[in-house]
Amino acid sequence: MVLRLVVWSILAFLLMPLVIIILFSFHATPSLSFPFAGFSLRWYAEVLGNAQLGSALVKSLTVAGFTALITLVLGAAASLAWLRLGQGGRALLEVLCLTPIALPGLFVGVSLLVLFAQASVQLSTVTIVISHVVLALPILIVAMRARLALFDPSLEEASRDLGASQMQTFGKVTLPLIAPTLIASAILAFAVSFDEFVVTSFVAGTETTLPMYIWSMMRRTVTPLINAISSLALVFSIVILFIAWLIGHLRRRSAVASRTVS
Amino acid sequence: MKAPRSGIGSLLAAPAVLYMVVFFVVPSLMLFVYSFWTAASYKIVPAFVFSNYLNSLMSPLFWTVTINAILIGLVTASITLVLAIPVGYYLVYVSRSQVILYLILITWFSSYLVRIYAWRTLLGTSGVLNTILLQAGIVDTPVGVFLFSRFAVAITLIHIYLPFCILLVVSSLSEIKKDLVDAARDLGASPLGAFFRVIAPNAANGLVGAFMLTFVMVAGDYVTPQMLGGSSGQTTGLLIADQFRKTGNWPLGAAQAFLMFLVSIAIYFAVMGLGRATGLVVKRRPAKKAGV
Repeated sequence: MVLRLVVWSILAFLLMPLVIIILFSFHATPSLSFPFAGFSLRWYAEVLGNAQLGSALVKSLTVAGFTALITLVLGAAASLAWLRLGQGGRALLEVLCLTPIALPGLFVGVSLLVLFAQASVQLSTVTIVISHVVLALPILIVAMRARLALFDPSLEEASRDLGASQMQTFGKVTLPLIAPTLIASAILAFAVSFDEFVVTSFVAGTETTLPMYIWSMMRRTVTPLINAISSLALVFSIVILFIAWLIGHLRRRSAVASRTVS
Repeated sequence: MKAPRSGIGSLLAAPAVLYMVVFFVVPSLMLFVYSFWTAASYKIVPAFVFSNYLNSLMSPLFWTVTINAILIGLVTASITLVLAIPVGYYLVYVSRSQVILYLILITWFSSYLVRIYAWRTLLGTSGVLNTILLQAGIVDTPVGVFLFSRFAVAITLIHIYLPFCILLVVSSLSEIKKDLVDAARDLGASPLGAFFRVIAPNAANGLVGAFMLTFVMVAGDYVTPQMLGGSSGQTTGLLIADQFRKTGNWPLGAAQAFLMFLVSIAIYFAVMGLGRATGLVVKRRPAKKAGV
């Protein structure tokens, strides 16, 4: 049981800073140290009253929404392609997806900056979305790959043999089978975009996303306001993760249910 | 039958492939081309010179920050892997605990900047760690070296990349059947013995992969050293990033990015060589390769 102790100590190390941030977001004084002087919601009130912060949040939600949508469309097509491609096609997709994941954000960020500069594209919300899709699409395809390995192509063939058209097979057999994983992966893409900072800092121009706003605050001063923003961001991440988990959970339950029916 | 299927496949894959080519492959190539251009009074001039590479290689600053980045990378990636292995082992062989898995995912998805900020407040002179040490009477005056030191950078980077590394370790250990471990234990191996003599050799490639990915991420991270490293914290990443600000020398930054890339590849081969020399990494047998 030494192992269990080690594992929980490591988990404590991972969670402790987050717990402390949340704890001090409720601190009644600006001090960031013990003893704890009492609970207060003053920092949350200040966050809600901050208009700049609100517009940065809206910007981040917009960017993440578009990123998830574009990633979902491109990724869904690529996932369907995956089922039909030979070794060579799959290898090409893999190389294109695994390389950006294995590179630091800095490299991707400066490359895109060079592209936009060379093509005289004005840096804007659009360039942020384009860049975020470069990061999110590989993650979605890698996540889909694990699901598609379990996909039984004979289901599609059976549907065609029974007289369904290509479109019918797609709509009634293939898509329902891969949709839950696709949606969960798109939520992942949303989360990646919402938190992205390094690449954004190169391609954002004068736009300010939430992480960029937090960054400018962090550089200026240590203010307890950041604790409140951080706690809200953390709760938001947990909610996103929970939704993705719920979709996966429901999928597993429906899969089990359909198996018992047949 | 086979031909039309793969025809539709290519058509469906085309948008994603095209997207990655236009926005990933082309920009990477342009960055490479840029590294041979020159910058004169903030204007970038097409050329074919090696001066960006040569100037970087002959600059003491470049070497200082690169060695700093490599050291931070090697130390933190090693510690991260050492911490990730017991957690991965526990998740794969002892208990498929959903609670632990989701706690790890939550930390992975908690904001990058928030975690940097958290460690700044924890390690500051009026921060939580110093307050506890003062109250416990262990120190008389706040310890200043916690913040703005290599120690601060390392502990924060470990915290940021450990969840990612754990997931990589879990996926590489998942390929090794529990039966093998059980057999070793039945034959009298201690838990650690079973790990080093059964799991490690079989999972070596995956573990080296986890180490290298963590190394690349950590060595390329310039935000953490900038926020927590003080004057000792400058790394190649920060040097490169600064070149791409408005007044910087983009071609020089591009050359330095590719030099950093080469360094990572060199380290990969060094780690693999070290693994082979110590017998931990074995070349995969062809029979095994067919299954991969």
